[in-house]
Amino acid sequence: MFSRTTRMKRTLALGALAATAALALSACSGGLAGGGETDSGDGPIKFGMLAPFSGSEAAFGDYMKFGAQLAIDEINADGGVAGRDLELVTEDDACDATASVAAAQKLVTAGVKGSVGGYCSGATLPTLPIFADAGIPMVIPAANSNELVGQGAFMINGTGTQQAEAAVTWINKEGAKNVVIIDDNEAYPKDLADSIEKQAEGLTVAREHVNPDEKDFSAAVNSVLGKSPDFVVWTGYYQAGGLLIKQLRAAGYAGPILVGDGSVDAQLSAIAGADAMTGVVGTFTRTPDMLENGAQWIEDYKKVSGGKEPGPYSIQTYEAVKTLAEAMNVAEGTDYDKVVSALKGLKDFPLLTGNLTFADDGSRQGGGFVIVEPTGDGGAFVLKDELKG
Amino acid sequence: MFQLIWDGLFVGSFYALVALGYSMVYGIIKLLNFAHGDLYMLGSFIAFVVIGGLTGLMGIGSIPILLLVLLISMLATGGIGVLIERVAYRPLRNSPRLSALITAVGVSFTIEYAVRQIFGADPEVFPLQLSGQPMQILGARITMPQVILMAVAAVLMILLQRYVMHSREGRAMRAIALDQNAALLMGVNVNKVISRTFFIGSALAGAAGVMAAAYYGSIDFLMGFVIGLKAFTAAVIGGIGNLYGAMVGGIVLGLLESFGTNWFGGEWRDVFAFGFLILFLVFKPTGLLGERVVERV
Repeated sequence: MFSRTTRMKRTLALGALAATAALALSACSGGLAGGGETDSGDGPIKFGMLAPFSGSEAAFGDYMKFGAQLAIDEINADGGVAGRDLELVTEDDACDATASVAAAQKLVTAGVKGSVGGYCSGATLPTLPIFADAGIPMVIPAANSNELVGQGAFMINGTGTQQAEAAVTWINKEGAKNVVIIDDNEAYPKDLADSIEKQAEGLTVAREHVNPDEKDFSAAVNSVLGKSPDFVVWTGYYQAGGLLIKQLRAAGYAGPILVGDGSVDAQLSAIAGADAMTGVVGTFTRTPDMLENGAQWIEDYKKVSGGKEPGPYSIQTYEAVKTLAEAMNVAEGTDYDKVVSALKGLKDFPLLTGNLTFADDGSRQGGGFVIVEPTGDGGAFVLKDELKG
Repeated sequence: MFQLIWDGLFVGSFYALVALGYSMVYGIIKLLNFAHGDLYMLGSFIAFVVIGGLTGLMGIGSIPILLLVLLISMLATGGIGVLIERVAYRPLRNSPRLSALITAVGVSFTIEYAVRQIFGADPEVFPLQLSGQPMQILGARITMPQVILMAVAAVLMILLQRYVMHSREGRAMRAIALDQNAALLMGVNVNKVISRTFFIGSALAGAAGVMAAAYYGSIDFLMGFVIGLKAFTAAVIGGIGNLYGAMVGGIVLGLLESFGTNWFGGEWRDVFAFGFLILFLVFKPTGLLGERVVERV
């Protein structure tokens, strides 16, 4: 949720190393995968899931795992897919390109028939050719960089472009004319800011950038105020976002502020202070507590997770499993080409977060973004506007 | 205009406090203490823990409490600074300077990731936050916390100046800076004075950390990294090794950033700040107030 792009702090050298390793490993993936058909036609169908179970993003691995497990339990209780049970196999990608390539190889060797993982875009991207070469269809629950679009995978989560659409819709709905977009110069927030600027036709748009490793944004705040905006957008993560909102308010900006999904977290209020949060909204995909029948789903989830609350992307992973299982039902088996064409053929497949149809490039039509506001307990974000019509 | 100057002065006074420690240590043992920014971070985390304990006892949070916490954190970071010097730098004092520099980088990472292990990677919200209604003075927004924090910074700097320039121990420090061996022969306890220098420099960084935490409201384990680099830049601009230079350099850097951001936009702020570092190193390596660099044998 707050860093689908791996952070580039002092890891340039590491990144280069990872890229090399990814190349080397994906080069030999064909040989490994082409080895032999391990599917004997009976026994459970294995779904592989790559997610971070270690490192700074480790919390999301469990959120996703329990979501996927719940979906699999429900499907198995209903008779499974094409007469066979499903089984979940998880591997740790640590939100790291090197680790994710190795983990993807392990899943391929384990004989998985579908991939329902992918949280960090940077770690997910290098695994796509590995799964594709091994004939494994991919439904990605969380990772949503624009770079993943059109690579043969199907995405449950909306992309940056789609989130920008939602943001622009909301800005127009509020009747704002003079918008300042602030980003933190990191990959995903900058993409999002670029997309919003590109789509904001008829609006006066100015840009401002801050360094998220610093605490003092007074210079940027002055520059923003100098443009006397009637709407401010922040596309970065909540750590810097909280400070920025606090300092904007202290400097006298009282207008509306919209934050991107990286800042939709109760910590935003904690850092900014509750007073500063009046007039702040966010764009986000739905979480279970925003759903109409969400309470029941959360109860079911807790039975699987041993009492733990669901978190971001629990529901998207749940839906990724449901979607892939549905496609396999339609395809009456796990044949790659048939499953992919079945995924493409899904029309308004009913999911908790809204009906799902994939665009030709594999992204989700509409993206499922809604407007949320921080009026829940302790500054938690709750649904404000579904952006329908 | 006055707003830009005020913002620059405010940020600059933090840079100056941190730069002082850099500069003192460099002036005396010619070591760039890369872990210095992390003492700033440690100061804020120590205050975070202390406030957690204190407010449990007293149930109030205000300026006197902040000053008390400031004092405790300064003593603690000062002690940690002495410990770092004893463990990581003193054994290498006669090694090539590069070894000590590499050790300093190691110390920096050790502190950062130890704090991450204890407190986690997510930022913590500092429990005691100063807030105040802005006043309009000459067209600039000025808040009471800003005035108080700048006053504390100024008091600390004046105390330091008095100590170094007018006390017996200060004279010993300056003597070691001039010639360590000669000072030793004159009966100066070199190790003790160097320890004391680390204590003072680290305590100042810790103080800046506590003040930043109380003003900005969130702390994280990497918060010392950028300010460490900025303080180094400030020390170079002012003239590294020179006390007044560090203060002037901090203020100048704060002003440069404030005006640079206004003219070129926020994305150029760091380019601008570190560009000046390069310019100074190339064209005026002694800085604005720097002393002649005397290479000693």
